[in-house]
Amino acid sequence: MFAAVTSVALVGIDPCPVRVEVHVGGGQGIFHLVGLPDTAVREAKERVRAAVLCSGYRFPARRLTVNLAPAEIPKAGSAYDLPIALGVLAASGAVPPGVTGVVALGELALDGGVRSARGGLGAGLVAAEAGRPCLLPPGSAAEASLVRGAEVRMVRTLAEAVSVALGEVEPVPPPAVAPASDGPAVDLSWVRGQAVARRALEVAAAGGHHLLLVGPPGAGKTMLARCLPGILPPLSADESLEVARAWAAAGRPRPHQGGPPFRSPHHTATPAAIVGGGSGVPVPGELTLAHRGVLFLDELGEFPPYLLDALRQPVEEGWVHVARKGVSVRFPCDVQMVAATNPCPCGYAGDRLVACTCSPAGMERYRRRLSGPFLDRFDMQVAVPRLEPGELAGPGGEASAAVRGRVAAARACAAGRPALNRSLSRGDLDSLPCEPAATALLRSATERLALTGRGWDRARRVARTVADLEGADSVKESHVAEALSLRAAG
Amino acid sequence: MSEDDRLRLAFCGLHPDRTARLVADMGSASTVLAAIAAGRVKVPPEARRAAALAAGACRDRLARLKVAPLFRHGAGYPAHLGDLPGAPDVLLARGSLPARPGVAIVGTRRCTRYGLALARAYGRACGGAGWPVVSGLARGADAQAHRGVVDAGGVGVAVMGCGPDVVYPPEHRALLGDLLARGGAVVTEYPPGTRPEPWRFPPRNRIIAGLAAAVVVVEAAETGGALITAGAALEQGRHVFAVPGDVERETSRGCNLLIRDGATPVLDPEDLVASLSLLLGPPPKVPPPPSTVEVEESARALLAALPAAGAPIEDAAAATGMSAREALAVLSRLEVAGLVRREGGLVLPGR
Repeated sequence: MFAAVTSVALVGIDPCPVRVEVHVGGGQGIFHLVGLPDTAVREAKERVRAAVLCSGYRFPARRLTVNLAPAEIPKAGSAYDLPIALGVLAASGAVPPGVTGVVALGELALDGGVRSARGGLGAGLVAAEAGRPCLLPPGSAAEASLVRGAEVRMVRTLAEAVSVALGEVEPVPPPAVAPASDGPAVDLSWVRGQAVARRALEVAAAGGHHLLLVGPPGAGKTMLARCLPGILPPLSADESLEVARAWAAAGRPRPHQGGPPFRSPHHTATPAAIVGGGSGVPVPGELTLAHRGVLFLDELGEFPPYLLDALRQPVEEGWVHVARKGVSVRFPCDVQMVAATNPCPCGYAGDRLVACTCSPAGMERYRRRLSGPFLDRFDMQVAVPRLEPGELAGPGGEASAAVRGRVAAARACAAGRPALNRSLSRGDLDSLPCEPAATALLRSATERLALTGRGWDRARRVARTVADLEGADSVKESHVAEALSLRAAG
Repeated sequence: MSEDDRLRLAFCGLHPDRTARLVADMGSASTVLAAIAAGRVKVPPEARRAAALAAGACRDRLARLKVAPLFRHGAGYPAHLGDLPGAPDVLLARGSLPARPGVAIVGTRRCTRYGLALARAYGRACGGAGWPVVSGLARGADAQAHRGVVDAGGVGVAVMGCGPDVVYPPEHRALLGDLLARGGAVVTEYPPGTRPEPWRFPPRNRIIAGLAAAVVVVEAAETGGALITAGAALEQGRHVFAVPGDVERETSRGCNLLIRDGATPVLDPEDLVASLSLLLGPPPKVPPPPSTVEVEESARALLAALPAAGAPIEDAAAATGMSAREALAVLSRLEVAGLVRREGGLVLPGR
């Protein structure tokens, strides 16, 4: 008469258990589906009927009501096919009621096969929490196996799901997740020359500072940016799972052992693709995929202003709020931004070999376009000149692993502060020790270099990081001097 | 021909060539004004309205703007300009216009960094040598030449293609203030309120050349204001210097053509000062502004390694054998001391 199977819905990136309740009784063959389903969920009726029949079971010719509880969470996609089918079979008495003691998720094919669906990782988390086994199609099972303590059972057909749930057969172990690709692996040792930019990258990594790279085309800005995840400290287990959850919410599996993610959205991407959104249930965007990692904005000048405005607040707060018809969700986006831009429209201002062909008026326009509140988010700016012909053939620099060691030591030195150096408030900075000579240099810089209040704080944050890299307790004059050279213009 | 009528005619703001032709045809400024008033000479409506202004009103307006009218062959009007055919009958000047001829430094508005750095270096050298530096306050090379004079604390003269109360381009207002504060002058032949229209600039260039004993063309394309100035200088019998540039660069072609046609090539600021000494007499030896800032040994080495046109920090660090960290720290100290500045990805000597 009645059966309930547990499945999962995502609210933001957080999995939330959904009880799929099925009641069979009386009346004619009518199939009702209630509990805020979207179109794809409503189509489940047809798939479930066909899959049940093709798997050799009888489909009840009575009044059938399926409720997805809690009703106020919107449900999307085809992932509820499998739990609905299991519920229908149990409620109609076709199989023993024991099949419902699982967490299940998967789309059904008409012939009874089970296909992957979004939410595998969430199912793993819910199953681990509930202490039940979870039945998942191959792709989703791989994702769920990332969750420690989750009892993952891979199923390929509805009939197999029934036998696995009843413990009649030994489950097949799930396959491993294919490594997520953030682009080609790069190592700092491949970077030739660029001593100043390398140092800036190291400081940015140690303090988590947002970094702006300015240089002509072909100088190696993108290469440097791609090296950043490789010198950041590896993610902790909790952070790694958080990243995997964010990726899973976007329908992408991500392996546990992956380092900090690196995302490089194109400047033609829509706001929804970058900050998250989409019709129906909101899906995380690039910003959330870069959570705990690096968001790289190449050709910053090409990004439309509304996109940069949309990035500003989330990057500051570490959370992005997305509201869609009836739902408002919050995605995490604790990212370190790296942006690259040409120094002028033609890209060759200040180049050693190629003359710049821009008019001063054109350069002024370009500078104005790039300035403003968004650029204020960058603590650091560094020029990346094109290499001299001889340098390309020259020796590479230090490898990422060595730099990563120093960055980790600096982070250890900074442990115990309320936040990463990037997010230290003025009050935090005031309470950190600073030598008089360092303050004196900052004060004369305020006068001579027209440093603003915000510029003053930024220089102090970066100086703190330089001191951390040296393992110094208090900020010295030389730290401030270096930080001032790495400051962002304006 | 009374000064009042000459001033009233200047306030009409007609094209200088037209004013000169009208005066030549009709005999005097008074008869031209009468002809304009009677409608016998067709002029734009604003010129007709200006012609009806009383001389007192014109003088009041100039006094309010702290602008002095200088009459050709009169007191304060530089003789080396007034003696030239086609010189403006009335000059309007703010600040104090030097009586002796100076050096004109001109170049294209679409200057490359090469030209910008050179213009500034030459402006600094000539200003430091004590000669007045004349230029047009335009974007690009002109403004850099003026900045160089300001750096050296010398006297700069800006000749404008608009009214004495109009600053064009507007972003050079502060520079203009710096010039005036250091005893320089702003000169124009156009009445107050005149907008900077394109046709007003070529006649302005004859004044730039006329106020100078020599014209230095820093960077110029084959056509443009800088070559008009050089042409005017040749007509007026001024000496023309040109800075050679890349033969394939469009904005150096004008300079290279001038050299081919007999202009003196200039290789560096010392070379220019030496050549000019022969024309203008030896520089009056103004001591350079003493560097009061004490900097460490390594900073001095880094400073010495910087070319005038600037270099990336990497290059300066490599030239001195410093690490990137040291170079970054030293650079900040130099910048705070006012000995270098950053522009784009380059570090340049000077403020």
